[in-house]
Amino acid sequence: MTQFLAKNIRKTVLKMAFQGSTVHIGCAFSIIEILAVLYRSHLRYPNDNPNSANRDLLILSKGHGVMAQYACLYEKGWIGKQEVDNYFGDGSLLKGLSDAKVIGCEVTSGSLGHGLSVGIGMALASKLNKLDQFCYAIVGDGEMNEGSIWEGLMFAAHRELDNLIVIVDENGFQAMGATRDVIELGSLCAKFSAFGFEALAIDGHDEAALDHALSSLKANQDGRPKAIVARTIKGKGVSFMEGDNSWHYSRLSSETYNLALTELEGSR
Amino acid sequence: MRDMFSKQLVRLAQEDEKVVLLTGDHGYALFDSFRKYVPNQFINMGIAEQNMVGVAAGLAKSGFKPIVYGLSAFVPMRVLEQIKIDVCYENLPVVFIGDGAGVVYGHLGGSHQCAEDIAVLRPLPNIDIFSPGDAYEMEYVLNKAFEFQSPSYVRVGKSDAGVIHQASIDSSQGGVIPVDLGNKKSIVFFATGSMMVTALKLSKALGGIDVWSVPVVKPINSSEIIHIIEGMERVIVFEEHSRSGGLGGCLAEIISESPSSNAKVIRFGFGEKFSEKCGSYNYLIKEHGLDFETLLSIIEQNGWGS
Repeated sequence: MTQFLAKNIRKTVLKMAFQGSTVHIGCAFSIIEILAVLYRSHLRYPNDNPNSANRDLLILSKGHGVMAQYACLYEKGWIGKQEVDNYFGDGSLLKGLSDAKVIGCEVTSGSLGHGLSVGIGMALASKLNKLDQFCYAIVGDGEMNEGSIWEGLMFAAHRELDNLIVIVDENGFQAMGATRDVIELGSLCAKFSAFGFEALAIDGHDEAALDHALSSLKANQDGRPKAIVARTIKGKGVSFMEGDNSWHYSRLSSETYNLALTELEGSR
Repeated sequence: MRDMFSKQLVRLAQEDEKVVLLTGDHGYALFDSFRKYVPNQFINMGIAEQNMVGVAAGLAKSGFKPIVYGLSAFVPMRVLEQIKIDVCYENLPVVFIGDGAGVVYGHLGGSHQCAEDIAVLRPLPNIDIFSPGDAYEMEYVLNKAFEFQSPSYVRVGKSDAGVIHQASIDSSQGGVIPVDLGNKKSIVFFATGSMMVTALKLSKALGGIDVWSVPVVKPINSSEIIHIIEGMERVIVFEEHSRSGGLGGCLAEIISESPSSNAKVIRFGFGEKFSEKCGSYNYLIKEHGLDFETLLSIIEQNGWGS
């Protein structure tokens, strides 16, 4: 059986969101393929140990998509069924934003513009320790509003952290609306390049393209940190959620849950 | 005090290659010897404090021992949320150094003066707060901070305020250190940082009052404080910090909750105002009413010293 099937990850997210009556479903659905490819083919955990000193690092700086990561950690076996089934229950472990105290989560994020810098610190430590280690930092396009992101990018390029791969989930929306209406970001690829990164723009739901981009960027150890601007669709995978920013906040009813589940079951 | 800081820092870094010094483009002359002897452990993070603290957290998560240096007006205030979430939440061993606390940068104006660093850090879980007043207290608190057991903040204020101690402070000593004891009055002075020297001068001028120095503002041992003030009618606190949330506020909280004490706490520090004028350190201390003469006259007028 193929591990980390996007369809299965989405189903787990959907179940958690329904169980916990949570928001941020759209934020999780846009990064499903990115996480699927990373967990399936790129993230190395020696001896399957999430705390191994030379593990690859997955920094979910846009903590709002954390349900997608929980679904992957569940498939990894690092989060139990009980925790998934009891999502948002009183006294439960898994919060609505990424938390470094959860096994497999590297940073506490969701207050935006934090995770990337912490990841850069870890990527720098990896260079200083001469470890064979990559740091993948997933940031939201809305998160790119934060000044600390740009501080981090300048520093990463200055220190030639070519073990850092920033992946922007460019779904075009942030909490209050379309990114172009809130703060026009222009070409993120051009901005990354101008900041000294090797940057590619790809379809963030095309697993083959993601896999290829990650492999080719990692192969080019030329001192430049890497960036993938992944064009995605907020709410991807469920037709009535796609591109509808209300699913940043909306909670599932029994009806919408069943509709969405049926659609996912029928998808490839 | 700054020599002690620089010397301790270089020694520590030479002994332990995991020690890294991060600065937000500050400390031009202060780090000359550090850069000379351990250049690979020195990182100028640029004028980008938020990223500096995040990177420090990442380094600490990966086994390094980061020391983050900035002016106290910027570290902690500007990066308080990074300190809270990136560092304190995970209890990471990052040492923050906030230089120029109080009105040390008198001529530069309000942006570079700092009256609120202790107050903003005190509510954060896990972080220790140090406020040394002379070279020996600096040595004492750095020995604690450089154990790298948890986050800590070292407040560096007026560095040449004067001498408090004649020798190194024993490491078994607590956070509250007796400096002038044996005066049989029902009043006691507590002071921290630069104001310790003023407190000692006031004690002398008033014919002798017990004086305790508080180089460790957090954690503070409540029962030790209650024990010290037993039988006292008045506790007077001096600090080059806002009266809100600093050492005075901390002691007032402890004492007000004590069923055994009826002592009144009088807090001397900055009031609710920014410095209005440009001027020397001594000028600004006077503007804020924290100079020896003003304090002496207030204490005498109120009859608190007898």
